[in-house]
Amino acid sequence: MKITLTVNDQVYTRECAPSKNLLHFLREDIGLTGTKEGCGAGECGACTVIMDGKAVNACLVLAAEANGAQIRTVEGEAKDGILSPLQQKFMEHHAVQCGFCTPGMLMSLRELLERNAKPGEHEIKQAIEGNFCRCTGYQQIIEAVLDLTGQLEHKGELRHV
Amino acid sequence: MLCEFDYLEPTTLADVLEILGQGDAGVRILAGGTDLLVNIRAGLITPKALVNIKKTAGLDTFAFHPDRGLEIGPAVTINQLITNTEIARRYPLLEQCAEMLASYQLRNRATVIGNIVNASPSADMAPALLCYRAKLTLTSKRGSRKVGIAEFFTGVKKTVLAADEIVEKITIPASEADGKGGYAKLKRIKGHDLGIVGVALHKKQDYIRIAVSASAPTPILAPDFQAKDSPDYIAEQVLAAIKPIDDIRSSREYRRFMASVFVKRLLEEVRA
Repeated sequence: MKITLTVNDQVYTRECAPSKNLLHFLREDIGLTGTKEGCGAGECGACTVIMDGKAVNACLVLAAEANGAQIRTVEGEAKDGILSPLQQKFMEHHAVQCGFCTPGMLMSLRELLERNAKPGEHEIKQAIEGNFCRCTGYQQIIEAVLDLTGQLEHKGELRHV
Repeated sequence: MLCEFDYLEPTTLADVLEILGQGDAGVRILAGGTDLLVNIRAGLITPKALVNIKKTAGLDTFAFHPDRGLEIGPAVTINQLITNTEIARRYPLLEQCAEMLASYQLRNRATVIGNIVNASPSADMAPALLCYRAKLTLTSKRGSRKVGIAEFFTGVKKTVLAADEIVEKITIPASEADGKGGYAKLKRIKGHDLGIVGVALHKKQDYIRIAVSASAPTPILAPDFQAKDSPDYIAEQVLAAIKPIDDIRSSREYRRFMASVFVKRLLEEVRA
């Protein structure tokens, strides 16, 4: 079947098997490999993308279901080689260790920031509850968002909760 | 890679019923897909065709009518329920159970009715719907029938839904609105996880209803209690209604113990 969707403001039309999921479509059919496959079963959140304004696990959406949809992936963050402010803060706070969960984390947080410009710690934690970081760098990720939104009191000090 | 299947996107309920009415057991309804696609990937289901009902007119119905009550269609997601503040206020137990279900991303896709049709003993929406005595409208080409939620579940992942039927909507009576309630769920971790045992409590002026997840082959509704019944009596009756098992996530004894703790804790909260 033929599907057309918009990814990071660019329109793509491709032939696609009905059984292909959006994650594999993004990676294999249009070559956007920033979105990662961890578990492939909706547990880890590494494949999180934003579909029509909502964070979803791309492994649990068929590409066919995304026909006509607006998709945002991690490739839509940096512009002209300059990291987005969210990515900048991730770097400053060392919120990236191995980096595998990062694209999914960024997309979950991007969606959060679009619905809530100044999320509290609880809301940040809730937004990434479906994103596993096996390096367990959650605190740095939370601090990156608090700093980005002007809410970090003790800059540069890791608070281990 | 998923197995090969056809993909259908009917725009009307009549078309959905026509497809289901062909009596092919290999045809499955695709709503949120958060259980179905996982099961297909694991090879537990090998469907011939998936019928996406998210673009079908009328199946996204989600409204409160003072006479008929709250109606929820099969395309309504868990997050739609949580973010509707009016409905969350009128049916607080629905929102509490919804918030305990899976993770944020999954709640953006997972549907209320899908959680029920999947019929896991640990289904988080089941306790709220049992407490509210929700009714399901099962529709096929043959017609529609109404089934109480307590009669819907027949076993682990088993329901009375026939192969040619769809759950067209869930209706929660208007008389159950504006109660107090809470859902306590035991998990291995603080983040998203399947329930080890879950207790929901719904209190109106003169009665209390309690339902328990992950403590029997189906979610269980205990007999109605009077508002003045003692916590010990209520906990004893709830424990008599459940039949938890020993498994990898918990012992039977721990499930029974925590069910009792949760019943008493929730009673204290609604009576505070």
